[in-house]
Amino acid sequence: MDKQKQQQFFEGIIEQHKGILFKVARTYCPNVDDQQDVIQEMMIQIWQSIHKYNDQFKISTWLYRISLNVAISFYRKNTTRAEKYTELNEQLVEISLDDKSENERQLKLLEQFISELKEIEKALMILYLEDKSHTEIAEILGISVSNVGTKIGRIKERLKKRFSQLKS
Amino acid sequence: MNELELKKLWQTTNDKLAENFVINKKNTEDITRIKVQNLLGSMKPLKIFALLIGFLWVGIGSIILGSIYLNSFSEANKFFLFSGSIQVGLTAMAIFVYLYQLITIYQVDITDSIINTQKKLSSLKITTLWVNRILFLQLPVWTTFWWNETIINDWGILQWSIRLFFTISFTVVAFWLFINIKYENRNKKWFQLIFNGKEWIPLMKSMELLEQVDEYKDENAST
Repeated sequence: MDKQKQQQFFEGIIEQHKGILFKVARTYCPNVDDQQDVIQEMMIQIWQSIHKYNDQFKISTWLYRISLNVAISFYRKNTTRAEKYTELNEQLVEISLDDKSENERQLKLLEQFISELKEIEKALMILYLEDKSHTEIAEILGISVSNVGTKIGRIKERLKKRFSQLKS
Repeated sequence: MNELELKKLWQTTNDKLAENFVINKKNTEDITRIKVQNLLGSMKPLKIFALLIGFLWVGIGSIILGSIYLNSFSEANKFFLFSGSIQVGLTAMAIFVYLYQLITIYQVDITDSIINTQKKLSSLKITTLWVNRILFLQLPVWTTFWWNETIINDWGILQWSIRLFFTISFTVVAFWLFINIKYENRNKKWFQLIFNGKEWIPLMKSMELLEQVDEYKDENAST
């Protein structure tokens, strides 16, 4: 793939699958500035890895791997990385949220539970909530399909328990 | 709330939010043009710099000590010679750790599965512990390298006692730390006292993450 085609491919997948980056960033980084940093890092990693893309994988599988790896690594570093982006002066993303939305309010509640999960459990939870098959989750995480089932079962139980506690 | 409601809540709300999420097209184009340092790329210059300094130190040290061993061993100050040799030898070991880290940095593939990539990245960070273990092991030789036969002959019992107390204490502490600075002791108070501070947060988090990765790996192996 030549440079121009790579650029078109890159811009295409970013536009088409921006939701993946957004959801992963939002799950791992409650702070909006951090979300922007992590999304930018995801985009850089996607661009730098684009020559390695193997079409035997679904593009979403590939993007989830990169975005989750970046988000988890960002959590590990826990430092402001704004100084690395001096060359990108313009606002990267514009996020417009309707704070009064009932769905948003309920989502905040669910996110509160997700935020209590460990880092790899969070990855598992995003993929489960996004209705990914156990096979695809196994490919993204690098664990067996049966292990995916076991882990998801345990997390679901914990979440149900928390929701029922809240109701009572 | 049942499973389906939970998923629907997540998907509908996130999809709605994602629709409002706009990526600045100019920045997307800029990313394809500029040479920006990425997540791991930023680690390479520091490691390469440490390697160069280390090679220089070990190289010069080896030349000086080597020439003493070969040409003037009998007249040389043995305290300096042996202390220096241990120090240079331990620094060489630290260089190997840096070399291992540099090789691992080149091997990490961000497009690989989460467990594989995070295992490599966390292990990479934790090898920093090895550098600290080696540095602590150098402690005793810093108390002996300046000794020589003349000053030793002049020392009284009190001076001998003080010097030996420091050297033996440093040796015991150095070996104890060398053996005990490890991942398994991360929750001990003395460990957290040594590795306390902002710069150690990534190391601590790497340990936590490695523990999570190991949980998944273990279950993988047992299924």
